[in-house]
Amino acid sequence: METLQFLADGFASALQWQNLLFAFVGVLIGTAVGVLPGIGPMSGVALLIPVTATLTSGQDPASAATSAIILLAGVYYGAMYGGSTTSILLNTPGESSSVVTTLDGYQMARQGRAGAALSIAAIGSFVAGIVALVALVLLAKPLSEVAIKFGPAEYFSLMLLGLAAVSGLAGKSMTKALIMTVLGLLLATIGMDNVSGVARFTYNVPVLYSGLEFLTVAVGLFALGEVFKTVLHRDYGGGEIIKVGRVLPTRQDLKESAGPIARGSLLGFFIGVLPGAGATLASFFSYIMEKKLSRNPEKFGKGAIAGVAAPESANNAASGGAMIPLLTLGIPGSGTTAILMGALIMYNVQPGPLLFEDHPGVAWGLIASMFIGNLMLLVLNMPLVKVFAKIIETPPKYLLPIIIAISVFGVYAVQYTTFDLLLLIGCGIAGYFLAQNDYPLAPLVLGLVLGPMIENNMRRALTASNGDFSIFLTKPISLAFLLVAVLWLLVPLLLKLRGKKVIINEEA
Amino acid sequence: MNRIFDRYAGVAFLLVGAAFVWESRKIGESSYGSNVGPDIFPMGLGILLILLSARLLYETLRGRMTDAASGEKPRLDYKRFGILVGAALLYAYFLEDIGYVLGTFLFLLLGFQVIERGRWLVSLLVSALFSFGVYYLFVQVLEGTLPGFPSWMNLG
Repeated sequence: METLQFLADGFASALQWQNLLFAFVGVLIGTAVGVLPGIGPMSGVALLIPVTATLTSGQDPASAATSAIILLAGVYYGAMYGGSTTSILLNTPGESSSVVTTLDGYQMARQGRAGAALSIAAIGSFVAGIVALVALVLLAKPLSEVAIKFGPAEYFSLMLLGLAAVSGLAGKSMTKALIMTVLGLLLATIGMDNVSGVARFTYNVPVLYSGLEFLTVAVGLFALGEVFKTVLHRDYGGGEIIKVGRVLPTRQDLKESAGPIARGSLLGFFIGVLPGAGATLASFFSYIMEKKLSRNPEKFGKGAIAGVAAPESANNAASGGAMIPLLTLGIPGSGTTAILMGALIMYNVQPGPLLFEDHPGVAWGLIASMFIGNLMLLVLNMPLVKVFAKIIETPPKYLLPIIIAISVFGVYAVQYTTFDLLLLIGCGIAGYFLAQNDYPLAPLVLGLVLGPMIENNMRRALTASNGDFSIFLTKPISLAFLLVAVLWLLVPLLLKLRGKKVIINEEA
Repeated sequence: MNRIFDRYAGVAFLLVGAAFVWESRKIGESSYGSNVGPDIFPMGLGILLILLSARLLYETLRGRMTDAASGEKPRLDYKRFGILVGAALLYAYFLEDIGYVLGTFLFLLLGFQVIERGRWLVSLLVSALFSFGVYYLFVQVLEGTLPGFPSWMNLG
């Protein structure tokens, strides 16, 4: 019952007019970001952190954090939805989690059923969002009660597990993914050590004392990296956009997609909860599953509505599921949730089991606003589908320099140093070349965010054990986490050795 | 290109790892009572990075030629990229001197024209609107601070 009370409080806070506005703006911008070529959910969220920071600057810290996270989460799932629009209308997925949607979505559009495909994607996303939300409400409290019993050793191992999971599944080469993870952790050590107060790797450069700002690195790597890629590859889009036509799905469409939406939501949610898996895998698996279950699998790839409904529900459910490890354990399972976590930390709100005790307003406000956000997404998208389809036509000529300008403004407005601006551009260039050569960026950001916490917990555990490293192996829970972490890295390797193709998570 | 990049990247990461190990040896002594000082974490990670880059170098050396040969590389547009990065660097570096409005206006105008020549009027309008708009919203409405105009213009 206590949970319901908290949920009611959460709704009360999410229904305040400014938070409604934030949710609305977040969902709107998110959908636009998802539709626009060149910015995905990760760079969208990263870009908007500084903007929200200034928007919420007038409020007291706790409610500022609530409003900010409501907006950013809105951007997150708005972008997940928006990505499907380009898949269907242009045959180019806005982000990797809607790659599968192109298979049937584009075919449907060519048959003149673009509107039905778009609206079924919106309905599927909505249902999936609600399923994920109910599960989140049910699981959040018990999970955080388990997690609260963890000591530093358990935490250290759990975070290693999170890193291992993301590195094991990200990108084509695990070596490269691990290198990026370790690099992120190393970059996080620059600056003042928050246990002993010793300055590390700063060489008396004042701007380095506070460390490399996560926001600068994330915006640079993702947003600027994408801009540079578009410019270098002359990737200005310009495909032919198919007319939307009739928006509402027919009764037959709804009947055919009810099952896929339900199955996709559940599957997507469970995949989303697993760290490292995430939306892309969820959409792949649900598509494969529907094809296996279908009575006429030959229709898939030729415009089957189930082939749109299932993956679109799955990827939205997965992004809801990914919130669970973030909020209850403080372990982001993907690049985007790592960025959300960084944003929370900027507001002095530490995600993790204590979140529900220390900042119940933030946690439950976010959960409630996800419900409202999903509703808005549906209400917004059904009538506005045609408007969003127009956004695709924004000329990149104006879009690209403006993305750079927004990045510069955002970073400067939060950091006030020229150093951060130069770091931003440097990260953009590095981000392009690394991503281009299959070095996944999400593990780096994850390492950067988790680095200080991993180090803290490791040192607290080691101080308690007088420097004896075996403490991580003698505590049973910690040992279990470490074993799972090792397995997570080894199993894909073994599968690869045996010549099996491993599905990897490109978006991470 | 991939393998060559990997080789250079491997060497670079190896050096970064080595640098972190080397430099973290200097932090150790200043730690207080605990025998787990601030040097252990970066040093361990540095060693890990060295091992991983060695592994990467090993992979590229015995690498499969198929990766490098497959597919034709698209000709990259280094000219536009170079100008844009150069402009962004200048913009970032001189932002505090020439002020936000002027800097952003010039950067956007140049950026628009670099990507596609022509339609000056639209470019002028969009850059002016963006730079003034953001400045006005942020400084006047949200009461943030930005270096507005260069000091010799006496505009605030």
